[in-house]
Amino acid sequence: MRKFLWLVPILGLLLVLAAGCTAAPAPAASTGDAAPQAASGEPITVRVSTIAEPSTLDPNLAEDTYSITPIEQLFLGLTNLNNETGVPEPELAESWTVSDDGLTWTFNLRKDAVWSDGNPVTAKDVEYSVKRAVKPETASPYAYVLYLIKNAQAINQTVLPTDTYDIDTLGVKAVDDYTVQFELEAPAAYFESISSMWTLRPVPSWVIEEFGDAWTDPANIVVNGPYLLKEWKPAEQLVFEKNPTYFKKDDVQIDRVELDVISDQNTELALYESGDIDVAGDNAGSFPIEALTRIRSDATLSAELHEGPRASTTYVGFTMTKPPFDNVLVRKAFSAAIDRATMVKDVVGTGVPATQFAPKGIFGAPDPEVGIASDVEQAKAWLAEAGYPDGEGFPTVTYRYFSSTLEEALAQALQAMWKENLNVDVQLESMEFPAFLASTAATVPVEEMPEMWRLGWGADYPDENNWVYEVFHCTDSQNRPCAECTEADELAKAAGRETDSAKRIEMYRQVEEMMFGDEVRVAPYYHRGFTILAKPYIERAYPAFAPPNWDTWRVNQ
Amino acid sequence: MLNSAAQNATAAAPLRRPRSLLRDTLQRLTKDVFVVICAVYLAALLVIAIAPGVFAPVGYAVTDFPEKFQPPGTVATQGTLAGHTYWMGSDKLGRDILSRLIYGTRVSMAVALMGASISFVIGITYGLVAGYSSKHVDNFMMRIVDIIYAYPTLILIILLQVYLTTLAQKPPDEMGAFGQLVVTIDNASGGLFFVFVAIGVVSWLNMARLVRGQTLHYRQQEFVQAARVVGAKDQRIMGRHLLPNIIGPCIVAETLAIPTYIYTEAFLSFIGLGIQPPLPSWGSMIADGYGAMRTAPWVLFFPAIALSLTMLAFNFLGDALRDALDPKTRK
Repeated sequence: MRKFLWLVPILGLLLVLAAGCTAAPAPAASTGDAAPQAASGEPITVRVSTIAEPSTLDPNLAEDTYSITPIEQLFLGLTNLNNETGVPEPELAESWTVSDDGLTWTFNLRKDAVWSDGNPVTAKDVEYSVKRAVKPETASPYAYVLYLIKNAQAINQTVLPTDTYDIDTLGVKAVDDYTVQFELEAPAAYFESISSMWTLRPVPSWVIEEFGDAWTDPANIVVNGPYLLKEWKPAEQLVFEKNPTYFKKDDVQIDRVELDVISDQNTELALYESGDIDVAGDNAGSFPIEALTRIRSDATLSAELHEGPRASTTYVGFTMTKPPFDNVLVRKAFSAAIDRATMVKDVVGTGVPATQFAPKGIFGAPDPEVGIASDVEQAKAWLAEAGYPDGEGFPTVTYRYFSSTLEEALAQALQAMWKENLNVDVQLESMEFPAFLASTAATVPVEEMPEMWRLGWGADYPDENNWVYEVFHCTDSQNRPCAECTEADELAKAAGRETDSAKRIEMYRQVEEMMFGDEVRVAPYYHRGFTILAKPYIERAYPAFAPPNWDTWRVNQ
Repeated sequence: MLNSAAQNATAAAPLRRPRSLLRDTLQRLTKDVFVVICAVYLAALLVIAIAPGVFAPVGYAVTDFPEKFQPPGTVATQGTLAGHTYWMGSDKLGRDILSRLIYGTRVSMAVALMGASISFVIGITYGLVAGYSSKHVDNFMMRIVDIIYAYPTLILIILLQVYLTTLAQKPPDEMGAFGQLVVTIDNASGGLFFVFVAIGVVSWLNMARLVRGQTLHYRQQEFVQAARVVGAKDQRIMGRHLLPNIIGPCIVAETLAIPTYIYTEAFLSFIGLGIQPPLPSWGSMIADGYGAMRTAPWVLFFPAIALSLTMLAFNFLGDALRDALDPKTRK
């Protein structure tokens, strides 16, 4: 018997091998371009993808697009930004009125909205959510968009635990079960856009109080939107199913949506081509130029490619307190030396060249664009005027960006353009994103700042206030370029409080011209675009601002 | 006894001149055409690496955006490189892949030389001293080697990089002399400093082990005892008697180790820890090409071929050297 003991491990190994062979997956049914519900009566399923997993499903805490897309399907806003037009339309609120002084907003809620556990959605829930978002303990990253509500800023910026606040002084009140009233600090025509945002969507107070942070787990979550969260496999997949208690459930066609987490865009594209997902590129940046080149030269893929603006801008930031960029002529020269058309066409592959901050479609964004146009001769002249003819005597400066394939290509392209057009040497420096953000904050000592850096901005709500004022105001924003206060800042603040829309548009045109044409706080160079691939049987809108509404999608039979 | 041995030696001398190790090895090596081709290829790479500017048609950072992803053999029609022929195609910024490949040679060869020198200087010295010293010293020295061997290199590099980034952000007067030196070297090497450190840290360990083993073997031999009897100092015994005997296997081991250095650099650059753009290295070019594999396979193909060929050439040469230097295969 002992003689054959050596057989044991070998047999064991063979067993494992055999198991490995038989456990191989059975060949999956090929879907190809056929719509996913072949037999009638089967639930209609659509598979979409996201490049990153949602960091939270709590509306009060969400800040990234990967979280906001699922939240859009689970929770209803007071208003909804129309996916086609970007104009606020009724959602939870049937109607709303604003007082003559522009300070009091009253929203009338619809009476047939219920939570998925059967409770009615009331004004109390709205009040609870707004208060929760503003409370400093919640540490909501988007609380600042609510600062226009009376006392919100003071309450949110309370230093705990030394100072105290009274949450009842906040300008939000449930007048009755279906009427909620907001008191604002100053008139703000864009409040109806803000009321569509995820940050102030009603949340179920009783569930949050029972489960704490775990209230968004699939087992605990209670929602009021068109879809329910059925399953969440971490780093793999989220499964959504049609909500039978949703008041417009008959308008929702798709029964089940699977949101796959696919972190690599090349993989995403391959899965789309093999028919494993129906829509690709919805929750990601645009496809890399390599993929776009191939998609556009492929007859099938190019017909399924949808492109458009993303309401998002990429710019070169200048440290305005650090020589040589303390000289406005140098900043002008560097801005004019960027060949924006080439950047968009050949380096990014999609998008629109930008000379101003806010893209077309944002309320108040100047059309046609203002700012500094790409012009090599003018750039050379400005640099010479600044004391560096043909780049002579110009120090080597650093451009810092965060590691990503696209940013690396953009950085190298910028470096090459500045070298060729201005004859200046720019060193490139890449960092991981969180470290990069921290290293270019306005609080970083000037000697540790790079001279130039990459940053961008995407719309939270489609109004200029969210752009020039909330990003570049010298004291009320992060003010990363460290700009000193000028007339432009006053005008940006005043424009937010103006109620006459024609006047507002004109004021914002002046602010854009001053900030990016005269002072050149940063050099915007392109407005980003989306590139989405969708199978021909998917009928849907491609929104520029808000996340897509799956309940409006259709799968053609 | 001693007398007769000496007489024998002098008597044999006129009959047949002793063949030098070098000549003998060369003779054996050049018999194989394939090995000669490998050697010529590597020599050519070395020449290219010394003066890439002479061989490269254009600079490694010259961009021509409209001419992106041109297949090999295309003549550029617009932009900065108009009229230039892309013999190996162009990448996503319209840069000439042939030129970038040639400049990338410099990185691979620098890494090979760097690794080889560190491993020779530190590895041989360390191994000799350990093998020749008393048992306790030997034990202590070899345990240090074991500890370094067990350390995960990748984590070491990432830690070092974090350290340097923090260091580089400080104003010069706060850095200290060492900090300034490190930052200067890193800038001068285009971000390759960590690759050098990584290779430097690990490359000499195997060599030290090999040399120590050989030393342990040879220190017992009669010629070493004889040298000690006539009063030779330790350094002389190690340098003049032990070293020539063990250098053969060391050269072979080194030739076979060089591909791993080149590969380490390529790997680190591939994951973004190596060279900083726009400086090219074969590894970073492969990383670029990997994304474009289905659109423009040549962006990946040429650096991958160059890397494979070079690693193969070093391996073949190492193999041939081992056969040529092995006394057992001598006729």
